[in-house]
Amino acid sequence: MVLVLQILFVSILACLVGLFLIGLSRKVTARIHWRYGPPLSQPFIDIVKWFSQTAVSHGKLFDAGMIFSLTGSVVVVLFLPFGGICPLSGSGGLLVILYLMLIAPLGIALSAGESANPHASIGVSRKMQLAFGYELSLLMILLSLMTYYRTVSIVDIVETQIQAGWSLVQLPLVVSGLAYLLIMPAIMGIRPFEMIQAPQEISSGPMAEYGGKFLAFATLQHAFNIYIGLSLFVNLFMGGGSNAGYFLIKLLLAFMVFQVVHAVWPRFRIEQAVRYLWRWPALLAFIGLIIVWVTTS
Amino acid sequence: MKLEILLAVFFGGSLLTYLLGKISKRARDILAVLVLLFATAGITSLYGKSSTATLYTGFLDFPMVLSIHPFAWIFALTIAVVGLCAVIFSWLYIRKKGRTDFFYFMMLLVIFSMIGIVLSGDFLSFYIFWEMMSWSTFLLISYNRGKAIAAGMKYIVMSVAGSLAMLVGMISLYTQTGTLVFEGISGSLNSASSGYLQFILILFFVAFGIKNAIWPLHVWLPPAHSEAPSPFSAVLSGVLIKIGTFGFILLIYGIIQVQVFVNLGHALFNVRNLLLLLGAVTILIPTFIALFQDDAKRLLAWSTVAQAGYIILGIAYGTSESLSGGTLHFFNHALFKSLLFMVVGAVEFRTNGVRDLNSLGGLIKKMPVTFVAGLIGVCGLIGVPLTNGFVSKWLIYHTLIVNHSPFLAFVALLGTWGTILYSYKLIHHIFLGQLPRKYEKLQAAPVSMKVPMIFLSLTVFVFGVLPGLPLHVINLSELGFGMEPLAINMWGVVTGSGSIQMLNIATALILGGIVLWLFFRMGPKNTRADQMDNYAAGAPVPADRYQYSVKFYDPLTRMIAPYLKDIADNFYSALARGIRNAGNGIRRIYTGDVGNYALYIILFLAILIFIQLYWKVW
Repeated sequence: MVLVLQILFVSILACLVGLFLIGLSRKVTARIHWRYGPPLSQPFIDIVKWFSQTAVSHGKLFDAGMIFSLTGSVVVVLFLPFGGICPLSGSGGLLVILYLMLIAPLGIALSAGESANPHASIGVSRKMQLAFGYELSLLMILLSLMTYYRTVSIVDIVETQIQAGWSLVQLPLVVSGLAYLLIMPAIMGIRPFEMIQAPQEISSGPMAEYGGKFLAFATLQHAFNIYIGLSLFVNLFMGGGSNAGYFLIKLLLAFMVFQVVHAVWPRFRIEQAVRYLWRWPALLAFIGLIIVWVTTS
Repeated sequence: MKLEILLAVFFGGSLLTYLLGKISKRARDILAVLVLLFATAGITSLYGKSSTATLYTGFLDFPMVLSIHPFAWIFALTIAVVGLCAVIFSWLYIRKKGRTDFFYFMMLLVIFSMIGIVLSGDFLSFYIFWEMMSWSTFLLISYNRGKAIAAGMKYIVMSVAGSLAMLVGMISLYTQTGTLVFEGISGSLNSASSGYLQFILILFFVAFGIKNAIWPLHVWLPPAHSEAPSPFSAVLSGVLIKIGTFGFILLIYGIIQVQVFVNLGHALFNVRNLLLLLGAVTILIPTFIALFQDDAKRLLAWSTVAQAGYIILGIAYGTSESLSGGTLHFFNHALFKSLLFMVVGAVEFRTNGVRDLNSLGGLIKKMPVTFVAGLIGVCGLIGVPLTNGFVSKWLIYHTLIVNHSPFLAFVALLGTWGTILYSYKLIHHIFLGQLPRKYEKLQAAPVSMKVPMIFLSLTVFVFGVLPGLPLHVINLSELGFGMEPLAINMWGVVTGSGSIQMLNIATALILGGIVLWLFFRMGPKNTRADQMDNYAAGAPVPADRYQYSVKFYDPLTRMIAPYLKDIADNFYSALARGIRNAGNGIRRIYTGDVGNYALYIILFLAILIFIQLYWKVW
């Protein structure tokens, strides 16, 4: 019973946090651009509106991929500690989270693939390449964490940090932490790594064919995605949180940092992005892994 | 059931199938399936048994021994099941091509000689079955003629080199220990020196590594897999190359004990580290090369090379968790890779031999079952949770991480992320995107192809949710090797330092999916739109004019192409060129004209006489 309540609590709160952050992102960007911006409740209004509109579907996989994708995101949230609450701990840890995080983009990719829209396929192709770009560093960063803490469980990593302090300021991990900061915008898909959507260029890429409830689902998935990206960083490098409130404050803090980057940067081309990701962050992550490997052996 | 009878039925059945084909085609098709069903049933009935039987003692005074143990059982069963599926699949596939009797005969011969290899208890029978397998494989690879002959030649040349290395190893073992029976060798190798063991290991690694397609011994595999008939590609990729894996496990865990293997040689330079390094390279380079492929079967072939790297990593690491991971990955790979080759084969069958990814598209509308099978196969290949590849890869990563080998773990994980790229390419280019007009009348795959595909898809899913089933058998075989087995239950592994429970993951994913599906249905009904009826930002793409999935990962591939040359293949090509040139040179001397030879003899005598006259040597 407690487990069911925890699952509901974490998934609904994650969704609300994600939607709130989407609203906040538009507001902050607008203010940095000297505009007024939409109200904070705009994403919520949009979701309700889209969900009541009829939509165009291109086939069974077009529907199923979307559901599959959102399911993947919700399930990842259940494996991430939310300030002391982690509904599904103890089933594989960080490696399982890494794999579950695949489901969401894969679902969107399959769904968008069936729409037979060239823009959608270009967007998916960019997403795949970008993911390959940042995973190179992300995998090394996660491995240095797992090697340093000698566990694959994210709950253990958070608990150790609550006692010993943030990973970001632990000496052997600081290089990996820097690399993580550099790839965070790519993981979250914000500028300068926004080429997947690129509204002015490939008409929102994978999103091109989505309308009505598909767009509502896609936005919900995006909200979860923002939460997952930030939550992983906060849990792994900023010590998680001993309670939910503290955790959310850290989440907001991390979000604001990347929001400022998002507001002022232009967009990379895909090959520039991959070249960047495979150069400095990968180098830092590699050095970080060597440092951890040497100091722990 | 007795092992001798089993083998006799196998080979008798193969021959009978060939002869029956001369009388009735339908009877032959049914008999081939019946023989394989019998094989599957017979092997299943041997579950959990460990026994040895001496078959024959007279041959050169060597005993020929057959033996069954849990580790051989899981290999034999996988071979029989994959073989059965492939033979059912080939019913219609091969009817189009002709020379059907020969195909069935060779197919059954390959399958049963593989079972013979895993059931043999001494090196002599191992070698005999090994050669039978190699030669019948050669005939099947070259079945399509044309380019296939060159692919077959490449295979057989490498295979013979491997067999020779194995022969030298066998002879050396015989002179050292005086026996060829595995148990006897294992007993007398205890006192052997570390250097000798490494020498033996390297000889056998050449043989097994060629079959298992470890980099740099992999070059035969991509052409062979893509040129062979698809049902045979399924067998080739699913189980045949894993005979090398079997050999590795047998040698490292069965004959040389694993404790000895792990401590062999110098701390840095030893056979284990060499094998781990080669395993890592085998994962990395072929994964990148697969990204470049536009031929569906070639892409899958390179992927097979890469997946073999995971298995080698698991086996060579030498902990009981890594062995479980490696063996489980062999089992899983056999299921999903043969499934994928069948999917590509079904598409090839219906489109009259099109394998080029850039000229297909949108087939999901015409071949929905094949698409679902392909999707499940690809998910297994990536290791998406709920499919079988997930658990085996998790075991390998986990053991590498907790035993402090983060760099190997990194290569293994990165390989998986590359796998996602080429897997999506495969699925997208064949089944998604625009359906070209020429395929508008395409039919779905025939039932005889759907049945094996559906069956294999189900196994991929079932063993993904219940990994305890195969892990239980693997635990039995680890007990047989004298290792401490993993703590498992039906849903996964329950070791102390991190456990994996598919129960939680499966429940969360399935329930979550159902809830969201219901929620999705609550919204207003969708209207269906045609594939050309989509948003194009004012610049619509004319139908059938462009193929927009060509060069799908172009920016990425353009970046990595300069660093990615198949050094191994270039090396062998240069070697082959060198040998050919040398041969040409020699042919100038050996002209085949008796007059020339007479001239050589006279010249030779003249030189001898000259030497004798001048220096008075004799």
